Amino acid sequence: MWAGLSVGLGFYLLFGIVPTVANIVVSFTNYSGFPGTPTSFVGLTNYNILFSTQGPGFVSSILDTLFFVVGVTVVQNVVALALAHRLRGDSKISSALRILAFFPIVLGVTVVGIVWLLLFDPVSSPAASVFGAFGIHSAFFGANNVAMPLVIIVQVWQNLGFTMLVYIGGLMTVPQSIHEAAALDGVSSWQRLRFITWPMLARAVSVNVLFAVVGSLTTYNLIYILTDGAAGTNTLGMLAFNTAFGQSADLGLGAAVTVTLLAVAVIVAIPLAGLLRSRERRLLG
Amino acid sequence: MNNPLLVRRFATGVLIALLFLVPIVYVIMISLESAQQFGAHPLQPPVPPHFGNFASAWTQGDLGPELINTAIYAVVAAGISTALSLLIAFPIARRLVRWSSSLYQWFVIGLALPLPIIPLFIESRDLGLYDNRIGYIILHVALPNLPLGVILLTAFISGIPTELDEAAWLDGASYPRYMLSFVTPLAWPGIVITLLYSLLYVWNDIIGPVVFLANPSLFPIARGVFNFYSSNEGSYTLLAAAVMVVSAPVALLFAVSQKQLLRATMGLR
Repeated sequence: MWAGLSVGLGFYLLFGIVPTVANIVVSFTNYSGFPGTPTSFVGLTNYNILFSTQGPGFVSSILDTLFFVVGVTVVQNVVALALAHRLRGDSKISSALRILAFFPIVLGVTVVGIVWLLLFDPVSSPAASVFGAFGIHSAFFGANNVAMPLVIIVQVWQNLGFTMLVYIGGLMTVPQSIHEAAALDGVSSWQRLRFITWPMLARAVSVNVLFAVVGSLTTYNLIYILTDGAAGTNTLGMLAFNTAFGQSADLGLGAAVTVTLLAVAVIVAIPLAGLLRSRERRLLG
Repeated sequence: MNNPLLVRRFATGVLIALLFLVPIVYVIMISLESAQQFGAHPLQPPVPPHFGNFASAWTQGDLGPELINTAIYAVVAAGISTALSLLIAFPIARRLVRWSSSLYQWFVIGLALPLPIIPLFIESRDLGLYDNRIGYIILHVALPNLPLGVILLTAFISGIPTELDEAAWLDGASYPRYMLSFVTPLAWPGIVITLLYSLLYVWNDIIGPVVFLANPSLFPIARGVFNFYSSNEGSYTLLAAAVMVVSAPVALLFAVSQKQLLRATMGLR
């Protein structure tokens, strides 16, 4: 038992915990991606650059992150809940649509990203034709103010199936008999949704909100495919990646961005988890 | 169809189908268009269909070798991390180690934090894992698949009654034998889900191949098809064909596993 356990924990230590902690160490160095460049400790230099105006657009990146996280979390949960409500049944059609809604997760970010880039190509695409018919021409994923809402839509489209299934799982825990009894007592369907279904979904809401917030805060792979951080979509994760692996190859500065992101993730996730848990306790008893 | 409730259900059903089908159908459609037709009338259905794009995409995009690379990476990395997840999750679920619950917390934290791609890149260079197959596989064992697997399998094993496996334990079976002949079959549905999610992650990963690989002959399809997009901006018909070819294996895998995958995901609430 100990042999198997220690091999697994060794892997996790070496390629999970050590690199996560090492982010902090690297952020105090001038580690460069160019081979042969010497590395030395530079103290807080990277953080000074980051929080000053000469930095790589740190403040606007925080705003982009906020927009992305709030947009994804709200839209994904509202639409997924509506889908779950419609597709929770046992009918063949509901079951087929559930499978269809999950398919984008299977396809992965690269394929999903390319599909949407094709749909919204500025020159030759369905979107160009439809909007062109109204005399509207846009660079879509290349246009400020348009790119971020589109990126949010694609991120939501890709993950809807997962969120929906978690909600369906939650809906199945609401006993049908409660609904029937309430309906007999003359409780309207809206009131039943508001006062029976919604509170009993508390656990599913917690899981989905937490997943959406943490997921959209820390992942940037879809943004990498769609815009590479251009046109107002430069979230902190994307900024860290491009600072480290773009032209400047500045791994030290990239690590400083990542540490900031880590701090934000912890500051947001822990109170949020606590809030959601106390909400569950209040509603479910 | 005079019942308004039925009409509404029908309409919302069609709307949902369109939401997910339109993007996919568009790609299928243009993959069957010739370059001339796409240039002139991209939105007209390709009649008769033009199948030449698939052969051209296959050779121009090096899709064959890239598919083989991807399959090797995904199967081996997902296999190793699922096996290790089981070896960690079982002692945690059965509380065989004193610090089970704090150990478990470490995996929850690992799943929630951003992937430490910068230190991983430095490690890959220092440990000789950069730009080679074995290194690429090793770098995909731990994050995020190991914590994901530990969490899924701990939940699954906790649901298996202890009496089922304790008997074999008391019979004096050795631990490896006991894991293989008793725990693995009991936990099999959970193992399949872990394997599937891990496989999909490695198969679809795009950040890993950009950071850990430089030699094009080692590229998996995700990076190959993305390069195909960035370098071949003009020929969208070929790109669409390439996208379909690289999606076929996961689509097939999904077709045979969708029931288990969807049911397990519903249980996450």
